[in-house]
Amino acid sequence: MYGKSLLVGAALLPGLAVAGHAKEDWPEPVKEYYTGQVLFDRLELTRTNEEENLAVWDVMAWYGGDYHRVVFKSEGENVQDDGEPTDLESAELLYGYLVSPFWSFQAGVGTRGSLSSNASMENYAVVSFMGLAPYWFEMDNSLMVNEEGDVQFVSETEYEWQLTQTSYLQPRIEFTANLTDSDKYERQSGLSNLRVGLRYRHEISREFAPYIGVYWNGALGNTADEMKRMGEDTTETGVVLGARVWF
Amino acid sequence: MSNEFNKGRRKFIKSAFTVASALAIAKVAPTWAVPQGRSFKDQVLTNDEIDLTIAKSPLLVGNKVGTPITINGQMPGPLIRLKEGQRAKLNVTNRLSEDTSIHWHGIILPENMDGVPGVSFEGIKPGRTFKYRYDVEQNGTYWYHSHSGLQEQLGHLGPLVIEPKDGDIGADREHTIILSDWTFEDPDEVFRNLKVAEGYYNYQKRTIFETFEDVRQQGLEKTWKQREMWGQMRMSPRDIADVTGSTYTYLMNGRDSQMNWSALFKPGEKVRLRIINGSAMSFFDVRIPGLEMTVVAADGQPVKPVPVDEFRIGVAETYDVIVQPKQNKPYTIYAESFDRSGYVRGTLTPELGLEAEVPELRQVPERGMAAMGMGAMAMSGDMKGNSMNMKHMGGNNSHMTHKMTHKKELPVENIKIKHRESGHGAGAAMIATNPVSRLHEPGIGLEDVDHKVLVYTDLVGAHEWPDTRDPERQIELHLTGNMERYMWSFDGQKFTEVDGPVQFHHGERLRLVMVNDTMMDHPIHLHGMWMELENGQYPRPRKHTISLKPSEKVSLLITADAPGSWAFHCHLLYHMKAGMFRVVNVA
Repeated sequence: MYGKSLLVGAALLPGLAVAGHAKEDWPEPVKEYYTGQVLFDRLELTRTNEEENLAVWDVMAWYGGDYHRVVFKSEGENVQDDGEPTDLESAELLYGYLVSPFWSFQAGVGTRGSLSSNASMENYAVVSFMGLAPYWFEMDNSLMVNEEGDVQFVSETEYEWQLTQTSYLQPRIEFTANLTDSDKYERQSGLSNLRVGLRYRHEISREFAPYIGVYWNGALGNTADEMKRMGEDTTETGVVLGARVWF
Repeated sequence: MSNEFNKGRRKFIKSAFTVASALAIAKVAPTWAVPQGRSFKDQVLTNDEIDLTIAKSPLLVGNKVGTPITINGQMPGPLIRLKEGQRAKLNVTNRLSEDTSIHWHGIILPENMDGVPGVSFEGIKPGRTFKYRYDVEQNGTYWYHSHSGLQEQLGHLGPLVIEPKDGDIGADREHTIILSDWTFEDPDEVFRNLKVAEGYYNYQKRTIFETFEDVRQQGLEKTWKQREMWGQMRMSPRDIADVTGSTYTYLMNGRDSQMNWSALFKPGEKVRLRIINGSAMSFFDVRIPGLEMTVVAADGQPVKPVPVDEFRIGVAETYDVIVQPKQNKPYTIYAESFDRSGYVRGTLTPELGLEAEVPELRQVPERGMAAMGMGAMAMSGDMKGNSMNMKHMGGNNSHMTHKMTHKKELPVENIKIKHRESGHGAGAAMIATNPVSRLHEPGIGLEDVDHKVLVYTDLVGAHEWPDTRDPERQIELHLTGNMERYMWSFDGQKFTEVDGPVQFHHGERLRLVMVNDTMMDHPIHLHGMWMELENGQYPRPRKHTISLKPSEKVSLLITADAPGSWAFHCHLLYHMKAGMFRVVNVA
């Protein structure tokens, strides 16, 4: 029966006697799709309560398919007119894999430190869980281990309230916890930093959305104690003006 | 009877030649769509051998110049009229700088004539001509379109009408209406936007103020319960269409609402409207306020007449309706995108230049509990250990529960469907825990209208189909997707992830069971073979494209009588591109 129908098929379709096999030079009807994106989630000017002006960036760029992606993330700031070099808070190159519909696991390497020629950078390995939690909390949780073996955990969460079809109110919370003390980088173990922000964003287009916002930044636990001992302020507030931009 | 037709026809041809302005319009839109109206024997491309040239040319679309893909200089392409029993000879020449193809949608033909690059042939290279040859063994309303890349979005499509052997169209006059969605954006850019920015084209999302209003009206607890499920699933009840009126200009025979495509009638005449949804992504709700429409064919195949006031037409579906306007006044032909983000209208009129009132767009609909596969649970009270209290949820599905208790039982309702134990992987953001038949439902946004809307269970085949065997075998496929990354697939696997084709045994009678594990409607199209819809009617209606609502399961009977490889896919263009595609091999 099987052989017979093949024969019939071949007779009906002259020139395609090997239908289903002579297709090596045919194009794929549907191809794997690869693309990329550069997203500046925050690109802003900050005015602190200390009357300092800062330029701040928080960017993610990726390229790849649906499951596998190469991801680059970076955050940093530059205090304007202080003559100090730019502070690179992180620059990470990661491989990301979509492990579940809303979450990707990422692993890679990163570096951070002061962007001056003579400063030594802190290099580290990093793993992240990035994705969308139930109720649309957008999260990025990273665990970092540097060359000294110091372990740090950073968690960022954003949420969006849709005000209109093109404007949003967006709370943001970021905290840092050191799992170990680090003499070299002057870090104290425990919850060390909390930053809470709120911004109002308006889309000119989906790709370009200016925003204004406020934030509160505070040192916590041992880190705060240490800062107090040194006579430093443990909290900072500020206003931001910036844009969320992607292309 | 045919003499009467001929008389009427002569008159109209005469009037056509006297209307110069109409001929001017014909230069920017298909000649077959001129508003004089044509009697059924006015054929446009009907030569024994038909030449079609595919090119890119600047053309006025609405009030702006775009660069669509034209077929013989037109977008949409010319109306091709063939006759049942003839041999189709269609020579397609590619004047583009990339490969192209034409797929004859709904036509039963040999696999190497089906026009799907990579499945039926290698495609048509630039500068080359492909000669399509096949015997036309059916009649009715069909269409044709490119199966290469995203060319369809650029207007590479047109209507295909096959006259019955006896020439009887069952009406005094006919008009062909092809609906499409046009964007001035590059389709590749549209696809990338969908890929990188979820909800890019959706400007109808729920705002926080609407939620406050719900709290005010129905209290915090009920509002929370309604929002809770959507929040847990990370999905939006307003996610109806992926690409919307925010970028689309909806077209009727290549004209926007402003240009108002018009079709003539004489009061008292029976007019057959052949309506084709040639959109890339848009479902339309079609009505002619003030006129009852009698559905006489679905997907080109005759059905027992069903009088309706409105019908939803999924992407790639066709419906033939008969209208009989008695009054000497214009009527609006209104096609509203099912997410209510836009519409296109034309006019059915006794003389040119008239127009009737154009309805307002209706309210943006929102998906209810039925979309999550909760409809049946609400009805049966079977909570399956789920702690959520159905009484508090999905306020707008009580009417549905009511209707469901009155419908007859379909074969699919006794079929136990299976999900893979792991779900369907990262490519599937949800599984329908309790999918049900929704063939008797008109669909989202039409649940509460106060007039008759066509539902799939209304369709009864006009006669028996040749194969009356019971199915010997069953194949189950799940429609799956992940909105966040715009991944679309069957059984959680994109086309690029599967090892081989879906195997049909030549000659067998099959039951195909499909389960929609997504929150979207999907028009699923099988090439090369009919699908008889098990909708509880006999004879069953047979279709080339079947739309599934969220969390719906349907069953279809297929006779695997067409040897070779055939495409099987979601006809939402960007879903197909994203991977919701399979090859069916009949051997």
